[in-house]
Amino acid sequence: MATLSNNNIALAIYLSSKDKSEQEQALFFKKIAQFLSRKRLLLQAPDILSRLDKIINEADGRIVVKLSSKEHLGEDTKKEIANILKERYAAQKIVFMESLNEKLLGGFKIEVRDEVIDLTVKNKIRKLQEYLTSSL
Amino acid sequence: MSTNHIVENLKKEIENFSAQIKVEKVGKVLELFDGIAKVSGLSDIKSSEMVTFPNGEMGVALNLEEDAVGIIIFGDFSKIREGDEVKATGKILEVPVSDSILGRVVNAIGVPIDGKGAIKATKSYPIEKVAPGVVTRQSVDQPVVTGIKVIDAIIPVGRGQRELIIGDRQTGKTAIAIDAILNQKGQKMICVYVSIGQKDSKLRKLQARLEAGGAMEYTVIVSAGASEAAALSYVAPYTGVAIAEYFMDQGKDVLIIYDDLSKHAVAYREISLLLRRPPGREAYPGDVFYLHSRLLERACRRNEKYGGGSITAFPIVETQAGDVSAYIPTNVISITDGQIFLETDLFYKGIRPAVNVGLSVSRVGSSAQIKAMKKVAGTLKLDLAQFRELEAFAQFGSDLDDATKRQLERGKRAVEVLKQLQYAPIKIENQVVTLYALTKGYMDDVAIDKIKEFEQQLNEYAEHNAKVFYKEVAEKKMWSEKGEEELKKVIEDFKKNFS
Repeated sequence: MATLSNNNIALAIYLSSKDKSEQEQALFFKKIAQFLSRKRLLLQAPDILSRLDKIINEADGRIVVKLSSKEHLGEDTKKEIANILKERYAAQKIVFMESLNEKLLGGFKIEVRDEVIDLTVKNKIRKLQEYLTSSL
Repeated sequence: MSTNHIVENLKKEIENFSAQIKVEKVGKVLELFDGIAKVSGLSDIKSSEMVTFPNGEMGVALNLEEDAVGIIIFGDFSKIREGDEVKATGKILEVPVSDSILGRVVNAIGVPIDGKGAIKATKSYPIEKVAPGVVTRQSVDQPVVTGIKVIDAIIPVGRGQRELIIGDRQTGKTAIAIDAILNQKGQKMICVYVSIGQKDSKLRKLQARLEAGGAMEYTVIVSAGASEAAALSYVAPYTGVAIAEYFMDQGKDVLIIYDDLSKHAVAYREISLLLRRPPGREAYPGDVFYLHSRLLERACRRNEKYGGGSITAFPIVETQAGDVSAYIPTNVISITDGQIFLETDLFYKGIRPAVNVGLSVSRVGSSAQIKAMKKVAGTLKLDLAQFRELEAFAQFGSDLDDATKRQLERGKRAVEVLKQLQYAPIKIENQVVTLYALTKGYMDDVAIDKIKEFEQQLNEYAEHNAKVFYKEVAEKKMWSEKGEEELKKVIEDFKKNFS
């Protein structure tokens, strides 16, 4: 028997709801909640919702980017990052979720889906440590 | 080295360093249990790809599912937490190799554990590799001399062969493997001993024994101890064969011992059940046959065009109460080119090595046996089988004809001759002389309790006095008429003085 993954459920919710009116959607979401309860999947709801979020973002050509840095980045820098990411992921819109982290020492870290581009000073020092110990 | 010099060197290294910007694939630990982690993310990860955890532990992706990746963790998983970041390395699990690995004890991922410092690796070899194809192979025609009479005479093993050593616990399986390693001294053979789920005390004893015999110079020990994670037991044999392949690629002959594959199958079963793969017979997963077949297929003899070299495999399987029809024994029997079957009854009767000659077989080794040995041991197996039959028959009857009596007496002497002490491998020339004396009837009038003494003294005497015979067997692998005449005379002379 094939198992229903959270991804399958999220995709089904998205495909069934996208062409519905607001009124229809209200009824539809009620039914979804009942379905999850009946199938004992309510515990999986947060995961299903995050997957649904990803599916909707993907369909809309929107990418959520986690941006961590020691200090707030300037608008120019963010614009430049957005342009690079738009090209890399063929996205139409970039949504930044910024966070500050003093432990990064400097630079910034970009997280998109399951990819990480780490340009922090902390990471550079770690790599230097690896390089120096490996060349011993 | 002065402080200034160190600082200068450090500066130079830092100047040379340039951190490359690269996109890393990451995931998050969703679940963690008994050495297995379920990780989200890590899209595009390959099967058997290495991953790293924040505390530096390594893992390998084994289950690629739609929502998550099942990862086996090598080492201490107690510090890994839910939500930890897992990084893909983009590399398939590989093991560092170099010539300096000889004489060392490494763990299942090639890290030295003998306290002798780091191994300067020149290359890395993937632990999973497709076995050499038919075009690159050559049939087995060179012998592996184990130094154990019963094996070299009756169950000969060739370079590139896979010969299973099977038997109950405490029947001398490992002893045969160690004797085979000890006897490779001066025979241009590299040995790899893979210890899977064994006690550390046993491994230490084995290492000391090999060191005492001077065998560590050409031996590598790969160990996945009983206290270590099942994941390490699972990869250990593949690491061993990767090291063996490194030497085979240099055109060298390698002997690899997997001690033992029953524990390997148990470790794989544990991992598979934790990964929630469907269990099959005896709760082993469906691909347990492939687990061993893909490992043992990597043992081969390459032809000259592809650099020569060979890997001879001695997998060991432990049976329960002599049951060879259990799942893992039957699987490995069908994969290998023969088996050496050890029996508890024989062991306690004092017949050691406790090889059951009737059930043991070598499917390809006879073509690798040297001519001289073939000549003296050609009918030995049949003679022993007839002896066993007659022995059983003789227990009921008292009147036996002379021919039967002679056969019984010869059989008793053959059994005595094939007994051998542990860690005392015998060189092939001496084996030929002993078996020649046995099959030509020179031992028929020697009392059974004197056979061992006779054999030992004859070997010493013949080594000094039958030089032509010894030289011919060593160099041409067969004796001439002149050599045979010399040996006959030497045996007769020896018998006159033997009391």
